[in-house]
Amino acid sequence: MTSPALLSLTAERQARLLELLQQQGGEALFLREALEICRLALEVDDLAAYARTAKGFECAARLGETEFPALLEAGAIPWPTRTLNGGVLVGGAAFAGELPDPLPLLVALGLQLFQLRQELKQHDFAAKLRGVEREALYDVGLAIASTLELAHVSEEILLRAVSLLDARRGALYLLDGERYRLRSTIGGTARETLDPGIVPEQADLLPGATHLLAVPVEVEDEPRGVLVVGDKESRSGVRAFPEEDRRSLALFANQAALALEQARLHEEALEKQRLEREMELAAEIQQGILPRALPQIPGYDLFGWTRPARHVGGDYWDVVPLPEDRFALVVADVTGKGVSAALLVSTIHAALRLLLARGESAAGLLQALNSHLIEFSAANKFATLLLVELSPESGRLAYVNAGHNPALLLRRDGTVEQMRAASVPLGLLPSPPYRAVETALGPGELLCMYSDGVTEATSPAGEELGLQRFEDLLRREQSADLSDLRAVIDHELRAWSNGMPQGDDQTVVLLRRQH
Amino acid sequence: MTESLKVRVDRRSGLAVVYTDGYINNQGGEEIAQAANALMEEGYRALLLNLAGSKIVNSIGISILIEVLERMLELNGRLAFCCLTPTIQKTFHIMGLTQYAQVYPDEAAAIDGLGSPAATQGP
Repeated sequence: MTSPALLSLTAERQARLLELLQQQGGEALFLREALEICRLALEVDDLAAYARTAKGFECAARLGETEFPALLEAGAIPWPTRTLNGGVLVGGAAFAGELPDPLPLLVALGLQLFQLRQELKQHDFAAKLRGVEREALYDVGLAIASTLELAHVSEEILLRAVSLLDARRGALYLLDGERYRLRSTIGGTARETLDPGIVPEQADLLPGATHLLAVPVEVEDEPRGVLVVGDKESRSGVRAFPEEDRRSLALFANQAALALEQARLHEEALEKQRLEREMELAAEIQQGILPRALPQIPGYDLFGWTRPARHVGGDYWDVVPLPEDRFALVVADVTGKGVSAALLVSTIHAALRLLLARGESAAGLLQALNSHLIEFSAANKFATLLLVELSPESGRLAYVNAGHNPALLLRRDGTVEQMRAASVPLGLLPSPPYRAVETALGPGELLCMYSDGVTEATSPAGEELGLQRFEDLLRREQSADLSDLRAVIDHELRAWSNGMPQGDDQTVVLLRRQH
Repeated sequence: MTESLKVRVDRRSGLAVVYTDGYINNQGGEEIAQAANALMEEGYRALLLNLAGSKIVNSIGISILIEVLERMLELNGRLAFCCLTPTIQKTFHIMGLTQYAQVYPDEAAAIDGLGSPAATQGP
């Protein structure tokens, strides 16, 4: 007598089974068809086939009204079962666990096909996840390159790290003064601060998390932050992070370090840009103040210039006609650089012009200017200034030197006299004495007023040009035309510096009495 | 403490929209699967997952979403996503979800797409 099992395995069903075997993704339908054949042969209503997979016993196909669960735990199956190669067959109350040949072979084949299919899916899933990881690192790199917002990049890095490590939670801490401070968190609350001396994985950084993994964020071996993730997820709950996850997390920490470094460089660039703008503004102010054309002084040659340093200093010079055909020659140098220095120069320029127009004596003028600076300028702002009054007809020079470099008087006999400072710089003391000193400029003699940027021009070896070398140069070229003398001085200063950046403004004013 | 994903369901004529808010991980994925399975049990064959409130998904969450998608396909239904962050959209693309589920930039476009006669198989 033919068994019910073979009776239910009709030619039509055999053809269907073969068709499903060849069909991509037909494993579940193959098993369902196999269960249908079993159900007919066993005369039962409810059956389910569970394949043994990485997840446990996974429901591969089911028939009937019984609500068979998606996953079964081995040893805790509440229904009659028949163990097969590749899994188990589970039935409802009417199933006694018996399965006539060749049905065990048929169901086992279906279960193994299902297992194979699941394994392939897992391999495919894992391969695609590696692709996601590569893309994530690439994207974080792009995010770092395309944005300068540290907050945005920090969050992006944390999101990717938590996601790719299947962490339930995560947090990023950045060094803020003496402590690490929470910058970003995902998946729950995190402690606000972390002391550098504490091992992050031993601190309760993510309250409620059972497993922590933390790596340092370092820029050039200097600790700058901590990246921490908590509780690695699986379908059955959470577990500790395997050691290979530490390497992955470190890759994200490196990216965070790059972002931090980039943000720092950006801040520096902004600061530099701000300084450059300030310098441009200062240069504009200074250029606006310096004389564009010099007055003609009968019987005299006059020449003056400023060679500004890159970081504009506070040099100032002017030649102002005075009542009774006299002239005032001024060279000044204010402390500091940039806009603040330029504004102080501007103040001195305005006050000088005003006071000179009122016919103030040189000493009285400096007294008034000093009082003004003491009252209205910042405490650390002061200026050296040399004011020379020239009476062209007689050649008389009356000068007050408030802390400025000594002007040089080159006499016809080749000697050099220095017009030394007899008073302190302007803006330093409330009421210092300013006293005018008189001398005279004879025919063919040269007066040279200059700023310290000239004598302090530095060679690559770090040596300053010095007053003596400058005096020697002037003595050598004493009779040269003043524009030629300028060219010689400029050339000498450039040759001395030999490519070294110019540290300060260089100002020279030359006055020669004709024969 | 740990934050969990929140799910809200909007049943409409012929389709249901599932809104998520939070991390699509194991817990979050199960929340979504429960909601989606219940809707499938109710007879919905067109589901839209609006992920506007989710910025992050992990592999466990993705595997659960794949199972939801497979179940819907077994029922000859359609599942679509909308309002994905660029990161999640890229992840779904690499993981192959977009081969079987449509992705729309916004909810209106998704409802238009899912609302075609072939997809509107409500309970």
